[in-house]
Amino acid sequence: MLEVQGLTKKYGNYLAVDHVSFIVPNGQVGILLGPNGAGKSTIIKSIAGLLRYEGGVGIQQMPARALEAKRIFGYVPELPAMFDALTVREHIEYVRRAYDSPITDGEVAQLFTRFELDDKQEKLGNELSKGMMQKVSICCALAIKPKVILLDEPMVGLDPAAIKELKEVVLELKAQGTTVLISTHMLEMVKELWDVMFIMEKGRIVGTFTREQAKDADIEELFFQITGGGETK
Amino acid sequence: MKGLIYLYQRTITNRVKKALKRPVTYIMAVFILLYVLLICNSLNMMVAEGDFGSAENFVTILSILVFVLIPSNLVSYAKRKGLLFRPSEVHFVFSSPVSPKKVLMFAGVKSFSMNILIGIAVAVAGVALFGSSLLQAFSYFLFFVVFESILEASAIIFCYGNEKLTEKFFKGLVIAMYLFMAAIVGIAAYFMITKEPSFGLLQEFFSMPAIQLVPVVGWNVAAIRLIFLGPDTVSMAGTALFLISTVLMFLAAWRMECTGDYYEDAMKFADEYQERRAKQKKGVASVPWLEKHRKFRRASVEYKGSYAKAIYFRQMLEYKKSPTFIFGWNTLLCFGIGILIGAVCYFNDAIQEFGPGKIFIVPGVACYIVFIFSGYATKWSKELENPYTYLIPDTPLKKMWYATKIEHFRAAADGLLITLPGAVVLGLSPALSVLTVLLYICLQANRLYYGMLADALIGNLLGNTGRTLIKTFLQGIAIGIAAGAAVIAGILVSVEAGFFAMIVMMSALTFAGAAAASVSFAKMEVLD
Repeated sequence: MLEVQGLTKKYGNYLAVDHVSFIVPNGQVGILLGPNGAGKSTIIKSIAGLLRYEGGVGIQQMPARALEAKRIFGYVPELPAMFDALTVREHIEYVRRAYDSPITDGEVAQLFTRFELDDKQEKLGNELSKGMMQKVSICCALAIKPKVILLDEPMVGLDPAAIKELKEVVLELKAQGTTVLISTHMLEMVKELWDVMFIMEKGRIVGTFTREQAKDADIEELFFQITGGGETK
Repeated sequence: MKGLIYLYQRTITNRVKKALKRPVTYIMAVFILLYVLLICNSLNMMVAEGDFGSAENFVTILSILVFVLIPSNLVSYAKRKGLLFRPSEVHFVFSSPVSPKKVLMFAGVKSFSMNILIGIAVAVAGVALFGSSLLQAFSYFLFFVVFESILEASAIIFCYGNEKLTEKFFKGLVIAMYLFMAAIVGIAAYFMITKEPSFGLLQEFFSMPAIQLVPVVGWNVAAIRLIFLGPDTVSMAGTALFLISTVLMFLAAWRMECTGDYYEDAMKFADEYQERRAKQKKGVASVPWLEKHRKFRRASVEYKGSYAKAIYFRQMLEYKKSPTFIFGWNTLLCFGIGILIGAVCYFNDAIQEFGPGKIFIVPGVACYIVFIFSGYATKWSKELENPYTYLIPDTPLKKMWYATKIEHFRAAADGLLITLPGAVVLGLSPALSVLTVLLYICLQANRLYYGMLADALIGNLLGNTGRTLIKTFLQGIAIGIAAGAAVIAGILVSVEAGFFAMIVMMSALTFAGAAAASVSFAKMEVLD
């Protein structure tokens, strides 16, 4: 379970996130939607422990900054940054050791195959394209075998095959009971994935829907209904 | 922890493997070796000739280092900019289950390794040059590498990991450090003004009990004095205080709670550093504070032409919006150099000293500046990164000319500032002064186009150093040929003709280089 309680973040005098609270229950996929500058990335970075904030963040009922919580938490940032001198395989090996992850060599090989990284295993971090970096970043987060995973704009830069694979991975994670939070503005891409949706605007959550509540309503309709944009003539 | 160890092991192994495959590594290794030998040799000569090899002098040199390094290190840690984290570490390390204190210690590994190298260098220098005993050298190494590193590690945790003390406190600490450094410089300046400046004066300064009892920095000096000069009351008290403070700082750092609040500052600095590094790689001079506070004016420009000319007018519009127009730090530097040339010529009676050769003083200095300084990239280099530059339907030569045209105006202004004071003092004729400015413009153009040519010729094959070497080599040839032409015309006709011949020859060579370099504007992939 991922729990955010009264999260507030200021940059100087600018209030980027204002008392945001939400919960993504175990084994569910939450999506954080909002226009550019709504505060999605700030929330994601705060949950990942990269920013100072007021309020609380809980991962499986532990404070997010506790080492125990970090052990079961995977994070895919919006802009992946690789270690220049580490190969793709060494990135995974680093994660395996840093998290003491039980992932087996066979499972790593499977991940590489799924994301078409088989022939890139010996490539150094600074030799990868942006899309490849994103794939490695996703594989690293999955190599942790997380209980909670955070994906910040994960589809950006991915090719159609990788997007399809990622969607399948998310559904598999959900089936295994992993909590997933995806921040995105690509509504089309998360249509079939979500269980609970949080719509953000100007640092606040302005709408929360569960799939049951939304019934057959289109995700785009719900989004524009709340944010008031997207009218067509 | 296992992850961090693995990370460092693999990073070092892969870097070494990669470096061994590049020819430039071996060239650099030879250069560094020669440089180290040169330094050792000159140090040896300096110590032997100047009868400098006493323990007192050694202690004074080390004390100066302590007074410079420790406060500046503390300032950088208090600003949370002393440790360098890369975006990859922000991505993979900050979110991993490693204690934020351990993350700090791993980031500090570079500093601690540097301490070991400095410790070895000082110990060897002490024994080889300043007559220290092996015991003294070993004691210093132990003191510097063990205790100094513990103190530094504790300071890092105290400054980065402290989540109780406010931002105000650390700002105050930085100001206090700056005030301290200013006070030390002030006292030293007072000594220099009121007494006869000498190295002995510095010795006297650092042997003062008040200096040895300044917290941390002074105590450090006291410990150095105890090791190399033997015990006295002040050095023993200072050393005891240093050791006690180290132990207390260590305990405080050990017990301090740290959940990783500093990650935000470290992440911000990592991004800033990455940006600055990228700019430095491209040779763009940048002052982050100024960039953050830069404001643009409203301006307009009339496009008097189309195709490649549009590049020039767009650049002009951008410069008109800038509060300093086409001028910048370089203009100030040139003004300073011009004043300096004038002042040195005036006070040294250069007219008498150099006779008819006086006309070569300003061009000589200009040549030196252009040859030695690598220069900095301005708007023209950004044109090469812009795909639209390549899409404009015009010839590469024209695109290059209009992209760099403003650089020549800038060079004219800089040349004028460098030339004018010296010309007035030396009584140069207006014609010669104009020729000197023209020569400066030529030299700058030569540097610009030959740099571009070096880029086009070798790309990233030999790295930045290789590029600079090739550029300097090409430029050296051009200056040599032009100087040869100047000498011949000077002997056969007149000094002015020599000057003119130099400019003509330099222009021709520059144009040839520019024509070859224009290939950079033909297709974008040349840069890769």
